[in-house]
Amino acid sequence: MSSKTKSRWADDEADAALEAQLKKEKEEKRRLKVAKARKLEAAKQAREASAAAAQQEGDGTNGPPAKRRRISPAREAAQATAPSNESNDAPKLWRFYGGAFAKSRSVENYDKLNDIEEGAYGWVSRAKEVATGKVVALKKLKIDPRDRGGLPITGLREIQILKDCDHRNVVQLREVVVGDDTSKSFSNIFLVLEFLEHDLKSILEDMPEPFLASEVKTLLKQLASGVAYLHDNWILHRDLKTSNLLLNNRGQLKIADFGMARYVGDPAPKLTQLVVTLWYRAPELLLGAVRYGGAVDMWSVGCIFGELLTREPLLQGRNEVDELAKIFELCGTPTDDTWPGFRRLPNARALRLPSTMANGRATTGSGVRAKFPLLTAAGVGLLNGLLTLDPKKRPTAKEMLAHEYFAQDPKPKQEAMFPTFPSKAGQERRRRRETPNAPVRGQQAADFGAVDFSGIFSGREREERGGGFSLRMV
Amino acid sequence: MAHMANPLATPDQLFQRRSYGSLPIELQDTIFFATQCLTQAAGLLLQLPQSVTAQANVLLARYWLVESMMSHEFSDTSAAILYLTAKLSPHPRSPRDICNVYSYLVTRPTTALFHSPTAPPPPPHDPASPSPPYYRSESAYQAFHTRLLTLEARALHALAFDTHVALPHALAVTYLQALDFLGRGAKDGPNGLGARAVAYLNTALLSPQMLYLTSQPNALAVAAVYNAARDVGAKMPECEWWEVFDVEREELGFLVVGMRSVEGWGAVMREDLRGMGVERGMVTRGDVEAELGRRGLVVGGNGSNGVDPEEEMARRMDEKMAEMEADV
Repeated sequence: MSSKTKSRWADDEADAALEAQLKKEKEEKRRLKVAKARKLEAAKQAREASAAAAQQEGDGTNGPPAKRRRISPAREAAQATAPSNESNDAPKLWRFYGGAFAKSRSVENYDKLNDIEEGAYGWVSRAKEVATGKVVALKKLKIDPRDRGGLPITGLREIQILKDCDHRNVVQLREVVVGDDTSKSFSNIFLVLEFLEHDLKSILEDMPEPFLASEVKTLLKQLASGVAYLHDNWILHRDLKTSNLLLNNRGQLKIADFGMARYVGDPAPKLTQLVVTLWYRAPELLLGAVRYGGAVDMWSVGCIFGELLTREPLLQGRNEVDELAKIFELCGTPTDDTWPGFRRLPNARALRLPSTMANGRATTGSGVRAKFPLLTAAGVGLLNGLLTLDPKKRPTAKEMLAHEYFAQDPKPKQEAMFPTFPSKAGQERRRRRETPNAPVRGQQAADFGAVDFSGIFSGREREERGGGFSLRMV
Repeated sequence: MAHMANPLATPDQLFQRRSYGSLPIELQDTIFFATQCLTQAAGLLLQLPQSVTAQANVLLARYWLVESMMSHEFSDTSAAILYLTAKLSPHPRSPRDICNVYSYLVTRPTTALFHSPTAPPPPPHDPASPSPPYYRSESAYQAFHTRLLTLEARALHALAFDTHVALPHALAVTYLQALDFLGRGAKDGPNGLGARAVAYLNTALLSPQMLYLTSQPNALAVAAVYNAARDVGAKMPECEWWEVFDVEREELGFLVVGMRSVEGWGAVMREDLRGMGVERGMVTRGDVEAELGRRGLVVGGNGSNGVDPEEEMARRMDEKMAEMEADV
């Protein structure tokens, strides 16, 4: 059998030669030793000679091995060079720790303090752990008892993904607790999440002045490093928007709400196009792509970038068609050069686009520069990259982190120096939502039919044009 | 790191199960073995990838360390956990598919499910004899469906919603590559090193020693590689190569023996099942209770092993109530 299965560790000629040489050397040694013993014997008494013989036997060259345990040559060498260093003996092995498993605890371990918000996927409230006094956010999963599919897959995915995540820019799931009625199927399942004082959306709505350039960089950098972590771990968030980004009073940003998230593989599996809140939805999703990747998250990051600068959502479409029109208005219409193959997407076939020259101006160029006159060239470059129509040309989160925008002055502000804001979540006031919600599973995807976009550039001459400078940069 | 580590059973959990479980140890082992085999068979018929079925095996083992084995019918527990695992994977299966497959499996002759590799194949079905009914009426399906959902929620509760399972199979292949064991004998077939290593890993899922709950994936992978290399007579490095993969010699030794013993275990289990008079399909709670009754008669005198009849009655009534409530 061993001849059939060749192993790297099997003996071959070189091994045989080496072994023969070793044997010869050993033999030589033994001969010398024997000769020495004989000399000793000749010189001394027979009693001493027998002692020498015993010693020779002790060498164990031809006797049975005293112990079967073999020691690796490397360690032998290490012992030879540093015999006094005994810590070399035990090899350092990596220990894997995966924790233990046990029943979920009851929600009775927490005292509810106040409601924070009510969203499409359940309500969130602030609570205090009775034993430790630690303040947490309790998110209740919405469960439809009539649903014959059992517990909602979105909720289970959110739990599964958050349990696997460990990153400073991703909200931490501490545990999952259940309502007290455990004998029957559960109507109450709560995610115990770390509590953060704000969400970015409410801050943007309430702040009288926009974020400084350095603050925008701090936020974007944290967002990008969180997204990079997720994509590195094969997770697509699929619902990035400012209301899902939490901020604590120490300037730390964390990505939350993984109700739309899921694991993906390579090659990308077929996924539903009904993801991401409309205003943050990438053009390939609107055009009905079923195979997409991390680029859809990067589009949302681009929309968030724009929103951080203006305090207003960047692309507020009324419906799918309007959203697409707004996108083309800002980023230009796609051509086969700028987005090869976009015509093959399901919703793009019947699309009527304006000719590349409308009213004597090119329509394929980006309007980002004009829309953000105060942004630096590097900033415009990054935003333009994130809002590239062709998903393949959008930068990845890692590439975004390396962008020169973050290296240029003003540098990202230190998190500790970040301004604080009056907490909304801590007070009694409930957050109200004006943004549309993420699409619901099983909803019908919009079918565009033949849509005419040729008129979207008619009012462009009246827009303000680039330029200008700002004194308030840092 | 999540892909390399699993939550493990605590010594306390293992001790509790072994010492204070309501069932004798060998009965626990028989049930464990039979149910894990059933899960594997169902995974095959549902055309689930082994990665999904193996995860279900591991989750089932964890579930039974937290919850009592006798609290639900074994086949239902297996079905619910397989349903849950498939739902979380990219290969979800509908409750109706699950119901059909399990109805079919529990009505097959036992030999089909737990046949030993040496035994002759079961005789082909005789068209003259009435075929066992392995369809279910709509109401039976609805009842099964309700039980499935109840058990799904129970299982998630018992596992604290932690369904993460890291399997050692891919690691074993990586280790084989690292040791340069792959791609040498190009056509190894089913007796090749890789196939044998994977076979050891899959067999270990059935082991009542619950190897997947006591060792991390890297240790399991190394032990499987070691066993496979020894089986095909491939020469391994002279040094303590397992330390490269962060496995101690002692743990490796334990796992090597544990993996090799499953085959012998299996034979004993099959004998036990036959001894319990399980003719058709899966061992059920009824079978186990009957067996307990028989043993109760034998050891009833000293009362140490016997089950208190009053307690037993109370427990049964509780179960009946729970079933009726679940059906409503």
